[in-house]
Amino acid sequence: MVLRRDDWLDLARKVDWTYAYVDERDVFPAALSGEPWLPQRAWQNWNEAYRTTYREYVANQRSKDEAVVGVRSALSKAHILEGLDPGWLQLLKFHNGALALAEYAGAVAELRMARFGRDSAWRTMATLGALDEIRHTQIPLLLGHDMLGVDGNFDWTHRAYHTNEWLIIAARHLFDDMFLAADAIDIAIQLNFVFETGFSNLQFMAMAALADRADDHLFEKALASIQTDEARHAQIGHPVLRTLLQNGERERAQYLVDKMWWRCWRLMIALTGTAMEYLTPLAARTHSFKEFMEEWVVEQFMKNLAEFELDRPWFWDLFIEELDYAHHSVQLGFYAYRTTLWFDVAAPDEAEREWLDQKYGDWGETFGGLWDQVEARWKSEGEAGTLAQALPALCNLCQLPTVFLRPGRSTACTLEVDGRPYLFCSEPCRWIFTNEMPRFAGHKNVVDRIVLGEAPGKLTDLHEWMGLRAPIETGKDLRRGLDHWRLNPIPTAGDRP
Amino acid sequence: MIVYLFGYLSDDFFGRVIVSPNDRTVAQLAAQLTAWGSTPGRTGPATVVNEAGRQLETSLTIAEAGLGNGDIFTVLRDA
Repeated sequence: MVLRRDDWLDLARKVDWTYAYVDERDVFPAALSGEPWLPQRAWQNWNEAYRTTYREYVANQRSKDEAVVGVRSALSKAHILEGLDPGWLQLLKFHNGALALAEYAGAVAELRMARFGRDSAWRTMATLGALDEIRHTQIPLLLGHDMLGVDGNFDWTHRAYHTNEWLIIAARHLFDDMFLAADAIDIAIQLNFVFETGFSNLQFMAMAALADRADDHLFEKALASIQTDEARHAQIGHPVLRTLLQNGERERAQYLVDKMWWRCWRLMIALTGTAMEYLTPLAARTHSFKEFMEEWVVEQFMKNLAEFELDRPWFWDLFIEELDYAHHSVQLGFYAYRTTLWFDVAAPDEAEREWLDQKYGDWGETFGGLWDQVEARWKSEGEAGTLAQALPALCNLCQLPTVFLRPGRSTACTLEVDGRPYLFCSEPCRWIFTNEMPRFAGHKNVVDRIVLGEAPGKLTDLHEWMGLRAPIETGKDLRRGLDHWRLNPIPTAGDRP
Repeated sequence: MIVYLFGYLSDDFFGRVIVSPNDRTVAQLAAQLTAWGSTPGRTGPATVVNEAGRQLETSLTIAEAGLGNGDIFTVLRDA
C-alpha cells in the first residue's frame, strides 16, 4: 500500500544521522555551517511553515513554467516587444543584466545550505531553493535571448557579471557578501530573511504589477512566477533566526539584519528606484517607488522584526529620509555617467516631472532645478555638456557613487585604516566596513583602480576595461536628446517600420 | 605633490574625485570643482569646509589647509 503524503513526509524531512566514526563538527565545520556552532539537537525544532514534497515541487514548477512558456509562445518571438515603451525596454535590459546571473549565484548559496545547513528539513528546503534559483537564471536568459534580434545589448543578460562594469561590480560586491562568501547561517539570515522576505517583493511583485500595466505580460508572468518560488524558500530564514535567538545570539542576529537591510537598500535605490520612476512609462505607474517601499517592504519588515522582537535598525531615520530622495540623486548620476552603463537612461519629461512632484511633494524644488540645468546644457553645448567631466567618488563599501541624500545634504564620510583613506557614502556603510574590517579593507573600487593606474583613466579605454563595446553598447539618452518639444509623442517599439 | 580629494558642491548631487597638486590654493581647488559641477557658470560667494565642518581659509594651499589624499572637502554655496 502506498503511504499517504502526511504519513511519510515528516520522516523524510527529518533524517539527521547520529555520526558514529566522525565528529559532527567535522561534518558541519563552523566555517561553512556558520557561527555559533551548535549541536544538532539545538536545531531539531527547525521547521518550515509550508512543507513541500519533491513530487509536489516538480508538478508545481512544471505548471509555472508552462504558464511562462505559454505566454512566450502566444506572443511569438517576432512580436515579443511590440508596443513596449522604449523606456521599459531599457528597464528589461537593466533588470536582466543585474539579476539573471545573480540568481545563479543564489543557487550556489542554496546549495551551500543544502550541504551545510544544520537540520535535514533545512537542507531539503535549500535543495528545492537551489532548483528555484537555477530556474530564475534560466527564465531571463531565455527571454533575453529572444530579445537579441531586437537589441544586441540584451546579451548583457548573460554577460554583465562577467565584466568589470562599475554598477555590476556594486551588485556583485553585495551578492558576494550576502551569500557567495557567507556560511549557511549568514546566508539564511541575509538572503532568505532580509532580502527575500523583505526586498524581493519589491523587485518581483511590485515590478510585476508595473509590467502588467506596461503591457509586458511576458515579463509580468515571469516575475510573478519567480516570486512564488522566492516566497517558498524565503521561509528558510525564520527558523534559523529563531534558533539563533533561542541560543543567546540576539546581538549577532540584529547585526546581520541591520547590515543586510542597509546593503540591500543601497542596491535597490540604484536598481529599482531609478527603474520604477525613470524607465517605467507614466501610464503604467500606480505607485511611487517610495509608496511601493512602504507598502511592500517596510510594512513586511516591521512585522518580521516584531515577530522576533528585534529592534529597528539604528539608521532607520536616515533610511526614512532617503526614501524621498536618494534614488532621484542616483538617477542624475546615471544620466551623467550613462556612457558607462549597458542600458539607456531617461531624463524626465514635463508630465513625469509633474507626477514626481505630486508623489514627492518637493521633487521640483529639490531635483527639478538640476534637471533644468541638464536641459539647458543640452541646448547650449549639446550632449557632451550633459555628461560628467570628472570621476565620481565611489563608496568603498557599497561601491556606488556617493550621491547626496538630496541637494545640499551630503552624508559622505571617511575612515583611515593602516594609512589608507577609505570613502563611504554614508555612516551605515562605514559602520558595516568598520565591523568587518578584515573582510572589506584592501578592496579597491573602480575609481581607486583608476587613480592608482590599475584601470585606464581614458574613457574609451575604460569602456573596454569594463567590457562595454563603445559606442554601440554604451548607454545613451533614452530619446537621444529628441525630447518631447522636438518629437511628441515618444515613439514606441511598435512604431518601428 | 599630487593628491586626490573628494569634492562636494553643496548645490550638486554627488561627489567628484579631484586630483590636484597640493600647492594649489583652496580657492583654486574650489574653482576646479565648481567648473565640473552642474552649474559651472554660477558665481558668487562660497565657503570651503573639511569633513569635520571646519571652514578652510581659501588663500591657503591645499597642504596648508590640512587636506591630503582621500580627504573630503565641501564647497558651500547658497541654494
